Amino acid sequence: MELFNALGDIFSSDALYVSAFQLSVLFLFAGAGEWVAERAGTLNISVEAMLLAGAFGAAAGHEIVAWSIAGLVGGCIAGLLIALIQANLSHRLTANQFVVGLALNVLVLGLTAFLATEIDLGPARAEVVSVPALSGIPLVGEALFARPWPAYFVYLLVPAVWWLVFRTRWGLEVRSVGENPQSADVSGIDVNARRRQAIMLCGLTCGFGGAFIVLGQVGQFQSSIINGRGFIAIAAVIFGGWTLRGTVIGCVLFGLVEALTLATPVQGYRIDPVILDVAPYVVAIAVVLLFATRVRQPRALAQPFVRGLT
Amino acid sequence: MSQTAGVTSSPEGGTPAVRVHELTKRYGDVIACDGVSIELRCGEIHGVLGENGAGKSTLMKMLIGLVQPDQGTIAIRGRTVRIDDPRRAAELGIGMVHQHFSLVDELRVWENVVLGERGRLDPRAARQLVADIGERYGLTVDPNARVGDLSAGRRQRVEIVKCLRRDPSIVIFDEPTSVLTPGESEQLFDVLRLAVEREGKAVALVSHKLDEIRRATDVVTILRRGRVVDSMPTADAQANSLAQAMVGRPVSLRSEAAALGIAKANGEGRPSPLRNPPPSELRSTGSAGSASARKTSPALEIRGAVALRSDGSTMLDGVDIVVWPGEIVGVAGVEGNGQAELADVLANLLPLDRGTVVVSGHLVETGHAGVMGASGVALIPEDRHDAGCVLDLSVADNLHLSKLASGAGLGRIDRAQMRADAVRLIEEYGISCIGPDAPFRSLSGGNQQRVVLARELSSDPVVLVAAQPTRGLDVGAIEFMSDRLRATADAGVGVLLISSELEEILHLSDRIVVMHRGRIVGEVRSGEADIERIGLLMGGAVV
Amino acid sequence: MANELVNASALDVVTSGPGARTRFGRTAPLSDRALTVALYLVSIGLALLISGILVSATGGSATAVGGALLDGSVRSPGAWGLTLTTMAPLLLVAVGTIVATRAGLVNIGQEGQLLIGACFGAYLAVRLQGPGWLVIVASLVFAGVGGAMWAGIAAALRAWRNVPEVLTTLLLTFTAFPLMTYGLRQNWLIGDRDTSRVNHINSGEQIPFDARLPNVELFGNSIDSGVIIALAVAVAVTWMVTRSRLGARIDVLGLNPRAAQRFGIARRPVAAAVLVGSGFLAGAGGALLLHGGAAGDRLAFGYSGNFGWDGLLVALLARNRVLLAIPMAVVFAMLRTGSSFLASTGVDRKMTDVVQALLVLALLLPPAIIFLRDRRRELAGAKAAA
Repeated sequence: MELFNALGDIFSSDALYVSAFQLSVLFLFAGAGEWVAERAGTLNISVEAMLLAGAFGAAAGHEIVAWSIAGLVGGCIAGLLIALIQANLSHRLTANQFVVGLALNVLVLGLTAFLATEIDLGPARAEVVSVPALSGIPLVGEALFARPWPAYFVYLLVPAVWWLVFRTRWGLEVRSVGENPQSADVSGIDVNARRRQAIMLCGLTCGFGGAFIVLGQVGQFQSSIINGRGFIAIAAVIFGGWTLRGTVIGCVLFGLVEALTLATPVQGYRIDPVILDVAPYVVAIAVVLLFATRVRQPRALAQPFVRGLT
Repeated sequence: MSQTAGVTSSPEGGTPAVRVHELTKRYGDVIACDGVSIELRCGEIHGVLGENGAGKSTLMKMLIGLVQPDQGTIAIRGRTVRIDDPRRAAELGIGMVHQHFSLVDELRVWENVVLGERGRLDPRAARQLVADIGERYGLTVDPNARVGDLSAGRRQRVEIVKCLRRDPSIVIFDEPTSVLTPGESEQLFDVLRLAVEREGKAVALVSHKLDEIRRATDVVTILRRGRVVDSMPTADAQANSLAQAMVGRPVSLRSEAAALGIAKANGEGRPSPLRNPPPSELRSTGSAGSASARKTSPALEIRGAVALRSDGSTMLDGVDIVVWPGEIVGVAGVEGNGQAELADVLANLLPLDRGTVVVSGHLVETGHAGVMGASGVALIPEDRHDAGCVLDLSVADNLHLSKLASGAGLGRIDRAQMRADAVRLIEEYGISCIGPDAPFRSLSGGNQQRVVLARELSSDPVVLVAAQPTRGLDVGAIEFMSDRLRATADAGVGVLLISSELEEILHLSDRIVVMHRGRIVGEVRSGEADIERIGLLMGGAVV
Repeated sequence: MANELVNASALDVVTSGPGARTRFGRTAPLSDRALTVALYLVSIGLALLISGILVSATGGSATAVGGALLDGSVRSPGAWGLTLTTMAPLLLVAVGTIVATRAGLVNIGQEGQLLIGACFGAYLAVRLQGPGWLVIVASLVFAGVGGAMWAGIAAALRAWRNVPEVLTTLLLTFTAFPLMTYGLRQNWLIGDRDTSRVNHINSGEQIPFDARLPNVELFGNSIDSGVIIALAVAVAVTWMVTRSRLGARIDVLGLNPRAAQRFGIARRPVAAAVLVGSGFLAGAGGALLLHGGAAGDRLAFGYSGNFGWDGLLVALLARNRVLLAIPMAVVFAMLRTGSSFLASTGVDRKMTDVVQALLVLALLLPPAIIFLRDRRRELAGAKAAA
């Protein structure tokens, strides 16, 4: 009974949905980009690095020009830079994409922490923009329609990515490259170029996402600002079965669960924090377990392509 | 090289669509193409005949931009060109219908057809395009179907449509009939004739099958060991001289027919097998290897084999096959009708959902690692690289693979013994390699197949399953393999031969069964084999 | 109704490309070898150069930093000992990873496995009464069991439902940390039973003094016995992998899983066993960390300190060869111990993370370049396709 009361209280507070939305936005930006990258056949482990770089870039950009848009631009550029390294080492120089990703994670973590102590980065916040009528909706109104303005891009993100991958020639080629690079190559497509471009797209969205978490949530850069959420985004793609819809569901789910983690202490209920901390991951594992037979990965995922081999 | 004479006129007057002059390609010490000169003319089907390894594939890869020549020139419509990549080839009006590697299974037909083009993606226009070309050439196929769901024959149609959508003036067909029933092959040749006569294209048909070349082409050029041996109008060519030119020595059309791709006339087959007892009841005897067991029960008996995919669709739909010791049973059928799955069952790779597999009177559990091998089932797989060998290991390692699973895990591998065994087998099977430690990868296709054969036969099997055993091999290697299969059967082993090459089936089998959509749809004795009927059965007709 | 075809390992990441194993180390011509060495020197030099620039650009002195790193890792008294002590757990984790990779598995959960192992080890170490050596051995084994169980969850999910282990091992790592936090607060688990200590809520009980790994005198030097253990394990595993039947089976499984199944190497059980074994070694590494003292002699939040991740990197960089993993582990250990001396130069400790990452990236370049060049050559020298 106590539990139901507790849940009832938590779920009826606006704050939960706000924070769920905020976190979901982060996951969605990372997850959508990673989804494209994985459909192109590359397992991009450096999402964490891209997000963190985006966060740092946003703070840095805002330092240079005190507009929040400068922060966004800075974040995107930083994300793209990381993507540039990941893309070219993995798909031009055929280095092991795994090692590159892990190394980038360590590099960006260390570098941003190091630079943050050397350079003084002030606060950076984007203004909240409320949509007039809709923000009044009970419970979810504030969460969905009265957010810092960069958040609204998420409504464009998913349809844009969907359209890009399923309605354009570029998307068709990206999909073919992830399934059967040999056939794509013979058909005249530059396999590695498409893979690099997919990673760059991921860098762009992750850079944006990282920027958002600074500008729209925390308000300044901290080296622990991402804290493993990049990996959760990768998990979302996998457990979404490499479909966009599944990825979106995963990202929203993770956002919600993490928000619960944060909300329950605030409400004064003492559910053991351990349960809340492990909840997202256990949920992820459980979902993958349940839907495992439907999971079908892009056939050429994580297999480097060099013409003339196999 | 004799001049091509008496060819039909081309719209551009005397200029050939393609003139290849002294084209040479070396791979290290091996010369794949040696000063090849050839001319393709519009309105003409030009056959390029040669056994596997003769250089036909390399020549075509150069024309399509996948490989760059070391020497020589290519002239398209009189202008010398460099073909850097497939896109450039397409711009020049050269199209190729590939055997593999050109379709993406997960995409739809229309998506595959427009893959690689430039410009906006227009699904409706693409679907219309597929329908139009289909109608023009008699190659209808559903634009919205997922390519992976289509049969091999349909997939080839998609390949052809994809090739023709750019309206190339030069079309190359690379071994197109390997996935077709005889009836479908005829339809294909009609398409070729149409392309050439009505559309005025220049068509090249690359093949290792004599019959095909003689039936479908106007001019034939024979390649051997990378060189052009001869070139002449097909009408003037004798089967015998073609065969001899192809192989380089006098040939017996009768005994080497299968290798040369000559379908047999009725009645010629191998002598009746050692035993031909009527199917008897199962008798469970003692050890599988005892002589009495071998003689009184079938070597292999598959009853009601059903295998389903995870989505419920059937791969094997109630297969019944019996193989007696000493006989060769040929499973004819176009690729993609369950043959690969059947072989996988016999290779422990696929468990059955229903049905039984009985080897020498003993029931064998399917899908469990190593069980088939332990029961005496040897397998030459369809694609040796898939489950038949480990490319990155040595020849000796590969020869040892069947013994790897037995014995204590933490025991030392007796490498000296392994080597000695390997040396013996290399000698016995005439495997050409540097030595037992040579990387398996470095062997030629024929030699790799010999290694597989050596390993499988050395385990003293009761049943030998040979899936597409001579695919990609040259005539000599095909001969060797065929002889070995016969010898194995003569020694009392039951041989199950699965092949999509009808000539091979006809030539080697005592009994022929036809497989279609995962079931056995018909059976004939070799002596009474009627190619037409078999062809119809292969295509699914009820006869 | 498990009737899917036995497919190749789902994510065939490290068994292709420059990290791939071939049984044949080509004896390359001298010019090739010289080029290889030159490439490595140039890339490492580049990494160090960039690091130096970073340091200078933020007001530090590159030479001071370099000196401090060397002091911390080898030059100052006792530094070598500490470096080697730090190397030992890294090596154990790396060895376990290498075996898993050879079997075609992608285990990236070493950090979690190590942490859980450390917890198990600590639990036993503070409770078992007996001579020091007994406690140590028991703790190592029990820690291994803990790590094995942790990896076992991923192995079970993979065997039962084909869930890619790259995902499960990763998620399990994130799960391990909160669980440890929980455990630290329960006295009946790994919490400190001495509640009078100030920080007792956040850290565990100190392991008994005589349960610390003793030093061994060898050739006049004092070497941590943990190092001996790690090296012994490395040698044993190398033997197993290169000479035993099990090693050959693992190789075949990793190189061609379908062939493995065909020839009697049961893919699921063997892969699961290898994954569990790799977890065992990572867990034991956690105990080695605890008893060796490289991260302190009591558990605390975040105790694993990226030893797991670094062990994984060591394995990947060593191209899955155990003998190469040893010097690689030493280098990583040197960076760790060296970083503790950085404070005196005014440069933040995080700098070593940057240096480490740059070195890793630098070490990726030469194999990639060589691989590309070799493949081009091989294409030219290969037998022509028919």
